[in-house]
Amino acid sequence: MQPILRLEGVNKSFGGVTAAKDVSFSVPPGEVQGLIGPNGAGKSTLMNIISGIYTPDSGKVFLEEKDITKVAAYTRARMGIGRTFQTPRFMQRSSIRDNLLLGTDLADQIGYLKGFFGKKGKPFDEELEELMEVAKFTFRWTDKIDSLPFGQRKLLEIVRSMLGHPKVMLVDEPAAGLNHKEIEHAMDLLNMAAKQRGIGVLLIEHSMDMIMDMCSNIVVINFGEVIGQGSPEEVSSNKAVIDAYLGGDLDD
Amino acid sequence: MTLKNLATPKNIIGIIAIIAFVVIVPQVVQGFAMTIINVALLFAIISYGVSIMLGMGGQLSFAAVTFMGFGAYFIANMSTGRLGFVIPTFLALLLTPIVFAGVAFLIGLVLLKLKGTYFTFSTIALVQVAFTYFNNFQPLFGGPDGISGIPTLTIGSYSFGNDLTAWFYLICVFVIIGGIIVERIRRSQLGRSLASIRDNETAALTLGVNTYLTKVIAFSIAGAFAAFAGALWVMHGRFVGAEMFNFLNATQFIIMAMIGGVNSTVGIVIGALLVRGLPEFFRGFQGYMNLFWGVSIILLMVFMPTGLAGIKDVIVDKFRQFRVKSRKGDDDDATNTKA
Ligand SMILES: Nc1ncnc2c1ncn2[C@@H]1O[C@H](COP(=O)(O)OP(=O)(O)OP(=O)(O)O)[C@@H](O)[C@H]1O
Ligand SMILES: [Mg+2]
Repeated sequence: MQPILRLEGVNKSFGGVTAAKDVSFSVPPGEVQGLIGPNGAGKSTLMNIISGIYTPDSGKVFLEEKDITKVAAYTRARMGIGRTFQTPRFMQRSSIRDNLLLGTDLADQIGYLKGFFGKKGKPFDEELEELMEVAKFTFRWTDKIDSLPFGQRKLLEIVRSMLGHPKVMLVDEPAAGLNHKEIEHAMDLLNMAAKQRGIGVLLIEHSMDMIMDMCSNIVVINFGEVIGQGSPEEVSSNKAVIDAYLGGDLDD
Repeated sequence: MTLKNLATPKNIIGIIAIIAFVVIVPQVVQGFAMTIINVALLFAIISYGVSIMLGMGGQLSFAAVTFMGFGAYFIANMSTGRLGFVIPTFLALLLTPIVFAGVAFLIGLVLLKLKGTYFTFSTIALVQVAFTYFNNFQPLFGGPDGISGIPTLTIGSYSFGNDLTAWFYLICVFVIIGGIIVERIRRSQLGRSLASIRDNETAALTLGVNTYLTKVIAFSIAGAFAAFAGALWVMHGRFVGAEMFNFLNATQFIIMAMIGGVNSTVGIVIGALLVRGLPEFFRGFQGYMNLFWGVSIILLMVFMPTGLAGIKDVIVDKFRQFRVKSRKGDDDDATNTKA
């Protein structure tokens, strides 16, 4: 299958720190692909390079085999690269509804002028209700974002990204700070994104349970370098990977 | 938005208050006090621009005063015949926001290459440079003497002349139209995009917001508001001089918006009336007024960052906290039974 997203020989360093070293891998549509590695390995840096927040020192990024290395971040979002952040980023002083509308704005692309004169996008209530049902979300849309518990905010960020109808979703540690129930809901959402909507999901996660459970393919990086890649079984028996995790039990 | 949505108690009270204001003020106010109210309301229109830039987009710009100047000098040049031709005042008034939305767009393209504080400093530079030209460049701005003998606004055969009450009604119409525009922007994609830039520019980019262009558009709209109000102001006062457009006056519009609440349209109008009105009540203390506003701004920023309009939010929040606390027990039970 043609990959939906592909990195080719990507390098990035900050001063003396090498955050990405000749990284190449691809993400197929309709699958959850894992991206793991110890703290500071360069996982979030790769997401920033893919979404256009950082420019790589060299190497290329392809979306559906189109070179997007020089494309602006906001254009990449409109082309179909959605993402979440390690710590959720919202309009703190706005309601849940307004924050989610930013996601639908991205999908609708109505434009400021037509929007000002009242042109509406597709009604998003139905889609939102479907997503909220999967996320088991119980808050009122009019509530302020900062009145939500941290875990709910992280779930909401996945929902916002899905409302933008992306082709690729970059999800940075969705389980960190969530309770058991919420982790299940996050997994339901991501499975829905991949299996029902055919989105290529690139999942960064420290929770091995979640990675082993969801991913058909896993990329492991350490010090910015890909040190292993393959199915969960292949990766967990890979010597370089086991060393990188200092012999830590990957099935744990 | 349907009519049913609009008929909330809050909106009805608001509309009654606006009608009462428009009806009662001309009954009880005349002469000099009316001039002050008219000018205050014109300044509220300029502060709407501050609301769009600062309140929605989080961008602090001092340029409003300069665009007010552009609008005023534009009318002075178009309507007095000092350039050798005359455009009817009403037509010139309608042209002003269009022309200076364009001018602001071009200036915004340059200044907004800078971010945050650097952008703010660039607007201060703009104000200073423009002031120097206003004060010295005779052919367009009349130099230190300014330009006098500006004709009043004439629509068809009706001339506003020195009828302050007629001016009051006209200005109220524009304050209300301006307020509706601001509220529509706030609730549309442009308002959300601006809010996303204010709260997190990186997140805004990854949600497909062209942050640079969006800020330029906001700057352009703010420029159009200021120029339009400047045009009305000069036809109301019939004279324009450079002192009005110095840096000290540039801060005024920020103060008005902050006192009223940068994100409250009604609050801005109240803020403008207070900032222009209070000094007239305390004429003996003129010298202390800047000190007073300075201290007020600091106190507001510390204790009430959302301005006077925030008092309501603070009360509502307290009430909500109380309700959430008394509900919390149930929520915990609910999760326990599910688990
Ligand atoms: N903007 C930046 N400026 C300087 N150094 C950076 C920047 N972003 C990342 N780094 C460095 O690059 C390296 C990789 O960081 P990155 O955040 O990508 O790691 P990570 O794999 O996401 O780690 P974690 O699991 O802790 O989130 C780290 O050494 C980090 O300090
Ligand atoms: Mg990270």
